Amino acid sequence: MIIRQPISRAWRIGLGLAAIIFLLAAYTLLSRSRQEAVRAEQRDVAQQKIADLAEDRVRLQNEIQRATTREEGVREKMLMRLERELKELETQETRWRQLAGAPDAEDLTVPAWSQLYRQGLVRACTPQGSFQRKEVWIVHDFWNTAKRLVSALLIAVAVSLVLGLLMGCVDYVDAFFLPPFALLSKVPATAVLPIFFVLVQINFKMYIAIIVFSLLPTLAQSISQSVRKDIAEELIFKAYTLGASQFEVIWEVIYKQILPRIIDAARLQIGPALLLLVAAEWMVAGEGIGYRLRLFYQRTDMTVVFVYVIILGLIGLIVDYLLIWFRRWLCPWFGD
Amino acid sequence: MAETSLVPANLQDDIVLECNNVCHWFGSKRVLYNVNLRVPRGQTMALVGPSGCGKSTLLRAILGTHPPCAGTVLMEGIPCDRPNRDRGIVYQRYSLFPFLTAEENVAFGLMLDQTSFTFRWLQFWKWAALRRQHRAEAANLLERLGLSGSRRSYPEELSGGMRQRVALAQALIMQPKLLLLDEPFGALDEATREEMQLMLLQLSAENLAARRRHEQPPYTIIIVTHEINEALYVADRVVGLSQFHSEKQFGATVVYDKAAPLFKPQDPRDLDAFLAQKEEILQAVFDETSVRHYSEYVSFWKDYEALKKSSAPASPPTGSR
Repeated sequence: MIIRQPISRAWRIGLGLAAIIFLLAAYTLLSRSRQEAVRAEQRDVAQQKIADLAEDRVRLQNEIQRATTREEGVREKMLMRLERELKELETQETRWRQLAGAPDAEDLTVPAWSQLYRQGLVRACTPQGSFQRKEVWIVHDFWNTAKRLVSALLIAVAVSLVLGLLMGCVDYVDAFFLPPFALLSKVPATAVLPIFFVLVQINFKMYIAIIVFSLLPTLAQSISQSVRKDIAEELIFKAYTLGASQFEVIWEVIYKQILPRIIDAARLQIGPALLLLVAAEWMVAGEGIGYRLRLFYQRTDMTVVFVYVIILGLIGLIVDYLLIWFRRWLCPWFGD
Repeated sequence: MAETSLVPANLQDDIVLECNNVCHWFGSKRVLYNVNLRVPRGQTMALVGPSGCGKSTLLRAILGTHPPCAGTVLMEGIPCDRPNRDRGIVYQRYSLFPFLTAEENVAFGLMLDQTSFTFRWLQFWKWAALRRQHRAEAANLLERLGLSGSRRSYPEELSGGMRQRVALAQALIMQPKLLLLDEPFGALDEATREEMQLMLLQLSAENLAARRRHEQPPYTIIIVTHEINEALYVADRVVGLSQFHSEKQFGATVVYDKAAPLFKPQDPRDLDAFLAQKEEILQAVFDETSVRHYSEYVSFWKDYEALKKSSAPASPPTGSR
């Protein structure tokens, strides 16, 4: 075999499917082992309880015997109380024996597929909540998060495009913006979340500000680099000889030539933007994907969490392919 | 059969490009030294020289993208301090805009030159009609160059020769006052090169025809080339730039400047016709051991004056009235 030797399409599809099946099988095994462990724990607890209850039974029976020797009035009262306690003990014993024989504990930290469906997907897709405030979680949460994400991405891309083009075309602008952008792009975005929470009130604008702040330095630099590296200066000179003004060189030549790179750069920033948004929602939001994840994390109930994660992954894939298709349609000359 | 240059009477009166004592250096490295050139309208001038002597530097100074460190470059009396509409350029590589088809590439200059961004956005319907016109013109020109079948193709889908033909069309449709060709055929195979050379001869023939009709010749061309055969074949004047002269420490300068034989497109390609001149160019321009003064072979204007005098009608005797 030589490096980068191509393989057939059948092999490629087969190996891809095998990887997915492997992942699903690994999850199934993990979930099953967690369920077994929880049931074994429940069995042990039940056995321990049964042993404790047996001791209590012996104690009660001794007390019943001692009560029979008491005087008339006191004896009946004591016997009634002790027999009531004995009945309760027998009920508990029966329940614990049932649990020891057929443990029904469910582990929701790595839910089984049936749990994911019943308690995750069905619950997320059906109206939940009190009579007057019923909402379908999946629609409500994804809509709120999507609103914030799309608005922020559009603003971030627009501002980065203008700044990036200017930085790539005019050295003065580049010299001014490059140092702060180089610094800010190295700051982990999650580290500045508390600053935004304090400086900007917790509202829609705060989420926009956070995402724009985190994307702008990287995206602007990426566009600026693309302008400088992907466009031969000969093409710019040629545009001048064809009668282009400064603005036309930027719009008709530079922007059009780097447009596929802009779409790709924006596409690659969707993941980091969503990561930051979910983190912000986790911390302070009252609605959205991050908020829902926090709620279920606090209950150690991962059913809805896993469903949301799977749906986010699928949506991400679809959006990615849509953007790639969009780039191919808009820029057929760029190729793959 | 090649013929010697016709002698237009007014060559000196119609100078398109003037380089006066042009010098250029990069830090301590001297590249150009006292380059003096006058290019009249309607001339095809070939610029030859050893690799790295500064031909492209001179071309960039003429284009206006890299003005010289000293001296002046004037285009009809106006300094060339930035590239503009008056000068067209065809590069060896990066000749076409990759995001436009062949037809769009050729029509691109018409769009940029004849309309503005606001016109195209605010008067969309007028622009749409004009755009159809531009594309029709571009399609016609491409058809003349044998590229009608490829006008909807992107540059990536075209061969090297086709790309250079589209690049030439892109420059020619603008009718620039001066067309600069920077080794345009360098990356092409022999057959395609000859095809492109014939195209240039067509342009020279159009210049000649215009002169015969007493009209302004439409094409003034400077072509930079490594190939001396090509220079002598397509051009009517050969200028040699070289650092191999008695004052080499100051940089390259014009060491050869003479007329070249005129070929017509239908003439056979007779390389033997200019063997002697080729030897002369090799000696003047490419001889590394040369210590002769750089002006020894620079005689285009002197030869032109001499030829003009010898071909002028005899002056009437004094007192003949």
